[in-house]
Amino acid sequence: MEISKRKLFVTRAWWTFLDAVIGAKKRRSRLSPVTVGYLWMTPAIIIVGFLVVGMGYLLVYSVFRYDTAQFMVPAFTLENYASFFSSMDTLKVFGRTLGTTLIVTAASLIFGFPYAYLTVRVRNGWIQKALLVALFLPFFTGEVVRAYAWLILLGRNGMVNTLLGSVGLPAMNLIYNRFAVTVGLIHIMLPFAVLMLAPALTNINREMEMAAMNLGAGKVRTLYHVVLPLSRPGIIAATIVVFTLSITEYAIPAILGGGLYDFMANRIYQIFFHVLDFPQGAAFSVILVIVVSLMIPLAYGVSSLIATIRRRRELSCYSEDNR
Amino acid sequence: MKRVDMKRIRWVFVLVVIADLIFLSLPTIIVVASSFTATDVVAFPPHGLSLKWYVKLMGQEDFIAAFLRSFEVALFCTLLAIPAGLGAALALHKYKVPRRRFWDIYFLLPFTIPLIVSGLGLLIIYGRIGLLNQIWPVGFALTVINLPFMLWAVSSSINALDENLEFAARNLGAEGLQTFLYVTLPALTPGIIIGSLIMFILGFNEFIVSLLLTNVHNMTLPVKIYNSIRAVIEPTLAAISSVYIVLALVVIWILDRVVGLEEFLRVR
Repeated sequence: MEISKRKLFVTRAWWTFLDAVIGAKKRRSRLSPVTVGYLWMTPAIIIVGFLVVGMGYLLVYSVFRYDTAQFMVPAFTLENYASFFSSMDTLKVFGRTLGTTLIVTAASLIFGFPYAYLTVRVRNGWIQKALLVALFLPFFTGEVVRAYAWLILLGRNGMVNTLLGSVGLPAMNLIYNRFAVTVGLIHIMLPFAVLMLAPALTNINREMEMAAMNLGAGKVRTLYHVVLPLSRPGIIAATIVVFTLSITEYAIPAILGGGLYDFMANRIYQIFFHVLDFPQGAAFSVILVIVVSLMIPLAYGVSSLIATIRRRRELSCYSEDNR
Repeated sequence: MKRVDMKRIRWVFVLVVIADLIFLSLPTIIVVASSFTATDVVAFPPHGLSLKWYVKLMGQEDFIAAFLRSFEVALFCTLLAIPAGLGAALALHKYKVPRRRFWDIYFLLPFTIPLIVSGLGLLIIYGRIGLLNQIWPVGFALTVINLPFMLWAVSSSINALDENLEFAARNLGAEGLQTFLYVTLPALTPGIIIGSLIMFILGFNEFIVSLLLTNVHNMTLPVKIYNSIRAVIEPTLAAISSVYIVLALVVIWILDRVVGLEEFLRVR
């Protein structure tokens, strides 16, 4: 009895409150839906606006002059950008970042595609769930923890070297080099690649594949002529995501590269916090943003180019058959 | 001939997936296994079993403090992202604000701007308005860089919502606000939960932006672990890493309960 009375009171109070709000809303001049939309959007606009303002600061700093005594002089100069191209050391770091990123992107797509395909197509629900858990567990564990795990595995006294020692082989240098950074990065990027590929593969109608096989195409030809072209949106998305995340990576080169295999992000960090040359660091940041932004149209361009070439080649095949 | 071809490609796929599975899971297994080691150095297979590193962890106040800070920061970032992401998703998909393309690109900025650059930009802003020694600004920064996840999760819920339900409510005399509270919002709840879980776990793990924005007094757990890796590799770190793995498992379990992990194979 007591409870129901209280419940009644709460319900009544809630409805009175709602009525009051609705009444207040009606008394006000009617807002247009577009205005209401903008009001809804305002918090998100402000939150993302912090990035726009931050980028603005970096752009301004990037054309200032660095001065050892005065730290930063507000005078217009393009020297900071020029020094990116004139310093051999910087170009070497950039080349290394780009090269490793390309390897990581290719490996993530090649190893991710079968994983995505099987996860989407497997009929056994338990196997599907296991594949998904194995994918999400590292995805949700964070880069630092995973890099630490690779240190345990690949370190001088790590598991791999212990195994090598037990069969009488000499220990190998497996950390603080290109190998460690590449392996660590592929481990971070593989789940991203699979999660980007999977929806595109889900959207492929299974009957398309069956039709191709019915018409006499083997599994390989079906894969090459039907599945691969139809999963193009997924391949493009995975390429863009993995490429942009790898080329801007900081944690993996820092921990598994140990200062001997720095990426651009590590270099920018050093310039900011060790050299304290803010204009230089800001200019390199802007260059990194430009490189990443160019990747998106580039990926679409290359992909449509490949599609065109393939279509031409297939058409010429048919015309030869007709002859 | 074709039969052989068919079987071979299937085997190649299965072998690649098995290799992937080992590759993906190996670090997790190694970390958990070495956290139970009885010796003073990390070794695999562990020599003897012991819980002493977990006991030692309980006694290290700086780790506990960093853990709690990470929790606070992740919670703040999630609680802020819910109204912001929900609002933006509603505005874009329900209220049809003009210049839709522009806003789509604008709200993807946190993904297109590299994290190191976003972190530096925020560092400059925080330095100017004096927010560098507190904890909540770190949480705010995590909302800034991860907001697209919430927006994406809620948007896909909105796109899956049958508008006729809302029309039916209005038809039966419900006011706009009532329709929103009793029809729209409950239908969007799964999306909000997915977005919140992703925001929380990514916030709890976030490293580079936190590294830029924190110092000794307000560093979060990943930054603390990073600094300790530099010093010495000892099994305490394996123990704290195992805590992360358990947390990730809990989040995966809830995601599977609420929406099913298979959803991630479909939605975009």
